[in-house]
Amino acid sequence: MRSELNEVYLIDQYLLGRLSKEEEQVFEASLLLDEAIAEKLEAQRTAHRLIRRYALKEERRRLEEIYQLLLDEPDFAHKIKTI
Amino acid sequence: MTRQSEDPITSLYRDSFPDFARMIRRMGGSLEEAKDAFHDALLIYIERERARKLNLHSSPKAYLLGTARICWLHTRGKVPISELPEGYEAAEPEDTNEEEREQSLLESLVRSGKKCMDLLKAFYYDHCSMQDIANRFGFNGRRSATVQKYKCLEKVREAIKTTQAYAQ
Repeated sequence: MRSELNEVYLIDQYLLGRLSKEEEQVFEASLLLDEAIAEKLEAQRTAHRLIRRYALKEERRRLEEIYQLLLDEPDFAHKIKTI
Repeated sequence: MTRQSEDPITSLYRDSFPDFARMIRRMGGSLEEAKDAFHDALLIYIERERARKLNLHSSPKAYLLGTARICWLHTRGKVPISELPEGYEAAEPEDTNEEEREQSLLESLVRSGKKCMDLLKAFYYDHCSMQDIANRFGFNGRRSATVQKYKCLEKVREAIKTTQAYAQ
């Protein structure tokens, strides 16, 4: 992987809590020394949040589709109509 | 009534929702409210299951009905936050400017690269293995799927940095 991707990887491992204690300390020291890395860390944290937001949206859409499909089943539709 | 090779969520839905809708009707709620609360609960169920954090003490159906009931009571303002099931924030939107900014950023990311977002979802949310991801997205093995994953993540990250710089 090119070195920039290695950095993406390292930040990701940090965010996912997958670094060893020692690696974590080295990484946290680099945050203090290099503002650019600290910025990348924050942006990557936001990226994780966006991915989750996207996933929830997709899952919600899927649930709505399941509901619509089930309404095509006479038995299910009948139960829903007679609650 | 479970069909062969059917998605388990569909079977669970078919089996649980009518009972839940009836329960909510008896408690004075509408069908639409029942569906919203039921979906909130299913999202919690799905997320915990994929993260292998679902410890069921009862059947999936009982868990789902219990969670959905709490979600519905919450929308009626009858449940304090402290009693909400773990993972409820999964379904809880916050409303700030930040929220709107992220929403529109997400929309533009989906427009410019839905495949990247789907790949990232498969890894971070669905907890699929890199081999599964390689098969599903047509990569030549785990390594190239992994490289692509970090490229996608970098792309999202750079879009976020640009938007933040723009917002300041």
